[in-house]
Amino acid sequence: MFGIFMESLVIFKLYTGLKLLMLLTAAALIYLLITEKDKRVRYFLVYAPLILIVLFLCPLSRKVFVAAGLDGETYYRILWLIPMGLITATGACRAFAKHMRIGLAVSMVLISLCGSLVYRSSYISKAENLYHIPDTVIKICDLIEPEEEDGRVSAVMPTELIHFVRQYSARINMPYGREMIASQWDYYNAVYEAMEGSEVVCMEDLIEAIRADYCQYVVFSPSKETDKDPETCGLSLVAVIDDYRIYEDPVTAREVESWQKYYEDEN
Amino acid sequence: MIVLRILGLLFLLLLVPAGMGMLFFPLFKKEHRDLQTALIAGYILMFALLEVIGIPVVLLAVYRGLTILTMILSPVLVAFASAGIFLTFHRVSKGMAVSLPYPIGKRKPAPAKWKVEQAVIWGIFFLLLGIQLYMAFTRASFDGDDAYYGAQAVIAQQVDTLYRVNPYTGRSAPLDVRHCLALFPIWEAMIGKLCGIHATILSHSILPLILIPLTYMVYEKIGRSIFRKKERLPMFMVLMALWQMFGNVSIYTTETFFLTRTWQGKSFAGNFVLPAVLWIFLELFKPVQRGEKRKQTGYWILLALLNLAGGASSSLAVLLSCLMSAVLSLIAAVWKRKPWILVKTALSCIPGGIYVLFYLLLTHGIIG
Repeated sequence: MFGIFMESLVIFKLYTGLKLLMLLTAAALIYLLITEKDKRVRYFLVYAPLILIVLFLCPLSRKVFVAAGLDGETYYRILWLIPMGLITATGACRAFAKHMRIGLAVSMVLISLCGSLVYRSSYISKAENLYHIPDTVIKICDLIEPEEEDGRVSAVMPTELIHFVRQYSARINMPYGREMIASQWDYYNAVYEAMEGSEVVCMEDLIEAIRADYCQYVVFSPSKETDKDPETCGLSLVAVIDDYRIYEDPVTAREVESWQKYYEDEN
Repeated sequence: MIVLRILGLLFLLLLVPAGMGMLFFPLFKKEHRDLQTALIAGYILMFALLEVIGIPVVLLAVYRGLTILTMILSPVLVAFASAGIFLTFHRVSKGMAVSLPYPIGKRKPAPAKWKVEQAVIWGIFFLLLGIQLYMAFTRASFDGDDAYYGAQAVIAQQVDTLYRVNPYTGRSAPLDVRHCLALFPIWEAMIGKLCGIHATILSHSILPLILIPLTYMVYEKIGRSIFRKKERLPMFMVLMALWQMFGNVSIYTTETFFLTRTWQGKSFAGNFVLPAVLWIFLELFKPVQRGEKRKQTGYWILLALLNLAGGASSSLAVLLSCLMSAVLSLIAAVWKRKPWILVKTALSCIPGGIYVLFYLLLTHGIIG
């Protein structure tokens, strides 16, 4: 039980980032606890959050959460029930009720200094297009996408592009996707092993894997090295887009084309 | 073409929800018969209908799922919206007071001038909001979950199946029982299909321009409920806006989700559904002015719909909103010494409870 409590405490610390912003919330909460006269605000913005924090840290709650079939990784979302921003803003407005201008300036400075500006995150970059995915992905997908609306192609993509391909086109299949990159899942995929298993790609292994998986296209990132020139191994270079090399496997392409013709004739 | 698409977006993302929300007007206090409340209530009703109609489609339609859903749901939404607008016109002509723009509402005399201080603080808020909208449109935010949710929306649009294709690889798959009840990506696909817009463009570039202001509307309502002196409201809104920008203390906070994953159901759950629960409880227990009738029915109905609508954004959202409702109602029941509050809250959790039951039956393989 104590172990579960400590785990919940760690989750709480990770959630708050151990940043000073949460101290602002705590200060506002204490201020409202002492001075707030509106009972609704006391009960819903002070007592309720305190009850929820206790519930969150209670080992039994975590056990019930997991026993209910919920993913333990999402337990932190219980903390979403505590409206930290609302508590802080309400506390600040009450505290500086008689000195609004100074109060506003002080509160704004405190929030700015104690928090972390979201736009400085390394995950945010200038959008290259309205899709908010890299232009490179769009160009590659437009090149290899089948012309027919119900057609499909399969392509091996570099890991840095994998997340975006199927956000653009559902007609480009991949032998593996994000599930191979995320560390929490431990899947095996022969094509992934051949492509990413070592620094230098063994072309023989890769071609064997992609033909077993019927992948018509292979896209190599600029930095990816291969032990042999892919063209000498039977692949044909279709294009180079933003230094990404796109190869087609004619053997797989012919095989896939023959099925498609077979099914078309059948219909 | 672009003009038609923009008009389509305005119609589906603003006019239809606002019209639907107006259905609640007779049940609300006069101060809440305005555009913001109409939009908030309208989105809640829209997502509740999405769940009621969408879940059977997801479970039963293997092929043409999005087409079937669109054919059934869109006329229903338009019908509700039309009824809301028509009935409001009718009621206003019979004397119901509303704070809507002319010609639905009456022409109002010019409002009293704001004090300069208030105007400046509101200006700061709108500046911060403008920055957030500008950044939402011009900045790409990478999130691994988009490889799932974004891809599901694109699959719905391009393959016309719902949760039956592995979003990562494109291969056929059994129904994804863990996510199939959360229809937010499917809603995005539907809106995009109706307007002729790619689901990913809609999610990343357009929806934040609607969902971010929608969240602030809920906070504005909360602020109005808390502060009797309306002069406090602009300061409250400025601090909320700043908090949203600087709340990125970890990847787990609602603030991080709000501005970096606005289009995902999880963000909608944390930044709209849960604050809306709080707003409803603040309104339910707001002291009544002398001579004013206490109106609670509309808010209880809205809470019941919200507890179901949350399921569209995330399966966990239903549990969170019901848990929040339970905690707030327990506190209120003790405070007011009225056990009936618990009964009413329990009743409002029934739609959410049915959703959870479906979820358990699906995930344990009993149905689906």
